[in-house]
Amino acid sequence: MSLPKREVDELRPWVERTVKKVLGFSEPTVVTAALHCVGKGLDKRKTTDQLRPFLDDSASSFVERLFEALEESRNSRGNRAAGEKNRKRELKGGDSVESVVKKKRVPRFEEVEEPPVLPGPPTESPGMLTKMQIKQMMEAATRQIEERKKQLSFTDSSAPHPILPTVGATQSIAPSQAANFMNDAIEKARKAAELQAKIQSTLAMKPGILGALGNTGPHNLVALANLHAMGIAPPFLIFAYSKVEPREVTKPTPLILDELGRTVDASGKEVELTHRMPTLKANIRAVKREQFRQQLKEKPSDDLESTSYFDSRVAINSAQRAKRGFRFHEQGRFEKIAQRIRTKAQLEKLQMEIAQAAKKTGIQASTKLALIAPKKELGEGEIPHIEWWDSYILPSHIELLELLVEMHGVTNLVEHPIQMAPPVDTDKPVTLGVYLTKKEQKKLRRQTRREAQKELQEKVRLGLMPPPEPKVRISNLMRVLGTEAVQDPTKVEAHVRAQMAKRQKAHEEANAARKLTAEQRKEKKVKKLKEDLSHGVHIAVYRIRNLHNPAKKFKVEANANQLYLTGTVVLHKDVNIVVVEGGPKAQKKFKRLMLNRIKWDEPNSKRDDSDDEGSRKYNKCTLVWEGTAKERSYGEVKFKQCPTESMAREHFKKHGTEHYWDLALSQSVLETTDD
Amino acid sequence: MSDEDEVPVVKKARIFYGSLEEKEKLRLSREGISSTAKDAVKAGIEAGHINISSGESMEMEERVKRRERLRNILSVVGPDALKKSKKEDEKAKRTQDEYQQTWYHEGPSSLKEARIWLAKYSLPRAVERLDAARAQKEIPESTRTVKQQELHKTLRNVNNFCSQIGDDRPISHCQFSPNSELLVTASWSGLCKLWKVPGCTLIRTLRGHNTNVGAISFHPQATLTLEESDVNMASCAADGSVKLWSLDSDEPVADIEGHSMRVARVAWHPSGRFLGTTCYDNSWRLWDLEAQEEILHQEGHSKGVHDLHFHPDGSLAGTGGLDAFARVWDLRTGRCIMFLEGHHQEIYSINFSPNGFHVATGSGDNTCRVWDLRHRRCMYTIPAHENLVSSVKFQPNDGHFLLTGAYDNTAKVWTHPGWSPLKTLAGHEGKVMGLDLSPNGQLIATCSYDRTFKLWMAE
Repeated sequence: MSLPKREVDELRPWVERTVKKVLGFSEPTVVTAALHCVGKGLDKRKTTDQLRPFLDDSASSFVERLFEALEESRNSRGNRAAGEKNRKRELKGGDSVESVVKKKRVPRFEEVEEPPVLPGPPTESPGMLTKMQIKQMMEAATRQIEERKKQLSFTDSSAPHPILPTVGATQSIAPSQAANFMNDAIEKARKAAELQAKIQSTLAMKPGILGALGNTGPHNLVALANLHAMGIAPPFLIFAYSKVEPREVTKPTPLILDELGRTVDASGKEVELTHRMPTLKANIRAVKREQFRQQLKEKPSDDLESTSYFDSRVAINSAQRAKRGFRFHEQGRFEKIAQRIRTKAQLEKLQMEIAQAAKKTGIQASTKLALIAPKKELGEGEIPHIEWWDSYILPSHIELLELLVEMHGVTNLVEHPIQMAPPVDTDKPVTLGVYLTKKEQKKLRRQTRREAQKELQEKVRLGLMPPPEPKVRISNLMRVLGTEAVQDPTKVEAHVRAQMAKRQKAHEEANAARKLTAEQRKEKKVKKLKEDLSHGVHIAVYRIRNLHNPAKKFKVEANANQLYLTGTVVLHKDVNIVVVEGGPKAQKKFKRLMLNRIKWDEPNSKRDDSDDEGSRKYNKCTLVWEGTAKERSYGEVKFKQCPTESMAREHFKKHGTEHYWDLALSQSVLETTDD
Repeated sequence: MSDEDEVPVVKKARIFYGSLEEKEKLRLSREGISSTAKDAVKAGIEAGHINISSGESMEMEERVKRRERLRNILSVVGPDALKKSKKEDEKAKRTQDEYQQTWYHEGPSSLKEARIWLAKYSLPRAVERLDAARAQKEIPESTRTVKQQELHKTLRNVNNFCSQIGDDRPISHCQFSPNSELLVTASWSGLCKLWKVPGCTLIRTLRGHNTNVGAISFHPQATLTLEESDVNMASCAADGSVKLWSLDSDEPVADIEGHSMRVARVAWHPSGRFLGTTCYDNSWRLWDLEAQEEILHQEGHSKGVHDLHFHPDGSLAGTGGLDAFARVWDLRTGRCIMFLEGHHQEIYSINFSPNGFHVATGSGDNTCRVWDLRHRRCMYTIPAHENLVSSVKFQPNDGHFLLTGAYDNTAKVWTHPGWSPLKTLAGHEGKVMGLDLSPNGQLIATCSYDRTFKLWMAE
């Protein structure tokens, strides 16, 4: 009925969960105890008895569940693990010796465990070490090594790799050497056991507190020790001595009391029976809380350890649901918004009234213009005492204008300053190309061809060239190849057809050779569109009242890009400005697009034809300005949304073209005051 | 019979007019170079007119190829290219060098006298002007603003007042008389006409020019202090003739000789003693009418000079040229004191503001620029029109607004400073070629390629 250790281990996560469910927190002591019971193959009643101290009333139900799970896992697993058993055990047995050695050498691994306090069975006097005790200690040590190895292999995926070769090595270690190691370990264990014994004696009375101390490892061991003391043989005995054969079920040991009334086992060693200690609920709670907290800390690693298929290289993203809480608006938020809207409406109303009044008096246009005029008065403030060009001939600020003094610099010299070449050199005389009529073109071609033909004929006549093969067609074959045609018409026809095909082929090949490749054609097209801007770039500025329609925006942008125009589009309430720069031909096309082709006042789409009927009715595009400049001031056409006028002006100013904005804005102001 | 012979020849010439050249070239290249030309070719190669090797060493090039290439080159440049002498080339080079540095030559002694006279004339005027400006500044801000707004309001209401067909050729220029009662127009027919405004009745036709008259200008004191028989007007034409007119005759009083090329504009110095003319031989001239001689022949532009305007003090002159630059000259020292660089195409118009330190230029790049003489920079660029700006003028009394006329058939009124558009004077069916403001501030006149001139007035 007893289970192999591996299966017990596999059962561990489930047991942990169940314990947690029952107790409300995870309790490694209980888990270990329960697993031991299972491992030992105790029946339900005995397990319940064993676990009663830990689980109180819920012990029976817990055991019920435990056994159900056990049954399940056994069914599902079947004999799958059986094949592996032998090999694994051997490996582990070999390991155990080596790992004792390893423990000393690799202190890094110890952070996983408590300091190497090897728990031994509780003894009273350090001197009395029976054979049994030594055996127990050895077992304890082996167990601990087992534990550690397990943890190592689970916690650190890289750890098994360095260990594996050593495992191979240990298998080759001579038995005598192994014995040496064993003795070493025993020696150590003994020392540790003495210490442990002291601690144990003080704490023996309170298993609950014991559980609270330290990590899982020692707890388990203590609990194990307790269990062992009660006469339950731990499974590793079987590891050590009977590897292959199934475990023997040890019988319950009889209760023996010594003269002091203590429980002792057959060898006379004192045995600590676990029994409930009356203690305060508060204390228990405190202990439990402490444990719970500790569990919380360890939990993730526990979980990871518990599955043997865990691969730490694979990152696990546990599904997390964002916490959804209530989100309340601050008090008074909507009131504030409403207040703002109300004030705005009031202001608008006020402005409207003023505008109405102004319209009546007719001062609106001028005031509006004054508003948009640049505020700073261009440093006009200072009126100099004397203009600088005057001060040049009057260096000593002579106040009296009698001008008896000789004026400085007035001579009869005539200056010839450096002559600056104009920025655009258009000195080249404009030449008109010679254009021939169709008739003239044909005539010219005929003449040149005739002359070329004559030249060829001349060469043939002089014997510089072989005469060309007679050109035969089906129609003239009889005439050209008279006798031959009669003798073998089929052959001659074939010959003629071959010649015709050759001619045709040559012609088509010549055509194909002349044909531009796709790239060349593309280049030609681009070259045609890209104009020479060395003589200045042509600029056009358009103003549109409403440029919210994405379709129209797209048209503007796409056409500008296709025509290799650069520029900018600024979107501001009802003054939307399109600035484009490029060659004259592209500008011509773009102008036609803006002023003729795009129907600015048509509805955007079926959806929103109701919202701004009025504004769209008057939507139109006007040409603000067109002219030339030395070079482009913008890159590829980009849209810019400008909520305020100053922002828009700033955008233009950045490119040194603020006058476009000024003009467009004042035009729009004048337009609105006109209607 | 002889007629029949001729006819095909004529016909042939007509058909091949386009291709003849082509054929000739072909023939020349095929024919090869005659032995006489060979020497010339060699000389040409040495002189550098014909670049055969194009920079690369082609020592090993085959003779045949070389000859072929030379044939090609010759057929393109023609044998005339060989005749160009080394001498000419050197001369051109020397003049090129001359342009690269500033140099001086001594003018006549009358020039110095005139300059001293100009200094004595201009300095008190400058002081007066600055005093007036200070007085103007004393007026509180609000009063000025109100005045400005009133002005803008009236300007917003400017409308076409009358239109008159001026001639049967385009009218190139118009100007009000200093007393605002007369308007003189210049036409491409060579006739100048004197009109009574605002009635637009013809007073006199001034006959004298044979070609396009570029400009006609009133003496600053005409109709005010001058007698009718004195020289009251000056006009210039495309053949380089400059004529002076009186108010009581339709014949010119005098001719000013000395221009070999087109004279684009003529302008009077505020004193009335001097007359400035701009010429397409890259120079402008200053004539002393009292001494009746040319006292200054000023070079400096690299292309023809189109417009000229004198500073209200009489101390400076501004010239705008087809080289896209404007220059401000100090008449007293003869130096170019400011170089206005910024336009991209020819400058067709330049005008000083009555405040004395603003200059406006109108250009072929469709913009009008306003310059600050005190800070020596361009203050603002007005994207004024959709075609070249042919004329620009400040309001003559206080300079509170600016008028531009352009080849897009409109004239526009702009605030100054601020340069926002106040009113577009649209109505002409042709390019606006000239405009003027009456000194009393009542009228605006524009003249156009459509052979009419129009008067505009605030309602």
